[in-house]
Amino acid sequence: MSSARRAAAEAWAFRARVEQDAALRFERLAKVVAGFDPDSPVPAMMHRAADDERRHTELCARLAERLGLPVALEADAELASIAPRSLDERKAALYEVVAACCITETESMATLTTLLAGEQEPEVREVLHGISRDEVVHSRMGWAHLSRESATAEVAFLGPLVPGMLAGTIDTGLFGEPPADEDPEGLLRLGVLPLSKKRDVFLGTLEQVVFPGLEKLGVDAEPARQWLARVAGQR
Amino acid sequence: MHFKKLFQVLVLGGAVLGAAAGCAQANAADKDKKPPADAGTTDSSGGGVKGW
Repeated sequence: MSSARRAAAEAWAFRARVEQDAALRFERLAKVVAGFDPDSPVPAMMHRAADDERRHTELCARLAERLGLPVALEADAELASIAPRSLDERKAALYEVVAACCITETESMATLTTLLAGEQEPEVREVLHGISRDEVVHSRMGWAHLSRESATAEVAFLGPLVPGMLAGTIDTGLFGEPPADEDPEGLLRLGVLPLSKKRDVFLGTLEQVVFPGLEKLGVDAEPARQWLARVAGQR
Repeated sequence: MHFKKLFQVLVLGGAVLGAAAGCAQANAADKDKKPPADAGTTDSSGGGVKGW
């Protein structure tokens, strides 16, 4: 098996697990948000997003298997909250929505649009297209929820917590050297960004989309900027 | 394009969606509300969500 095919199989298998976790998270958060903001469109969006993510899980797992790596997913998986214990229910929900949607789903959209600007094998491209249509909504629902909360509740508490969200989002290898046998062209054709491109997309998305978005909606992004400068500066 | 368009589509588009429905209610009781049983990880500083 080529290095690109092996790495792509691992990436799609990882994505299958990420999508499964997202489905569980959105189902749980939909109920919590509906409890304190019944007029919000976000819970309904989250229920639909959970369905999307279950479909994405299947797509990603099928692709990983076609590339040579069968994926074993837990049928009765559970997912705990990632919010700090000190937060009350409403703030914990906001923390998790910002981490999952405003940061991670926004980063995923940037990755997808970058990939789709290139060329892939037909089956891979079809999957990328299908997923990207849904991920737009998944990112938006995070910004929608933050927008609603910023209008009526205190959201500034998030500022110092964003570095923790970011630290939990990245792979430790993101700012390291690529594998010696990395095949950038082969990876792109199989729907995976080479490491240097992945890093560029991650940084660009934070600096030009996520941080300005947080600031627009009342969250100080300076602690996150300082965290990023420290982590990226260690390259 | 890319990042500027993403900002417009995702951030601004999302904010418009959020504002389109009735306003969220400030809930004074939230201040005293205890976290749910499953709220929070063992890491008291919080965590993040892995993505693509």
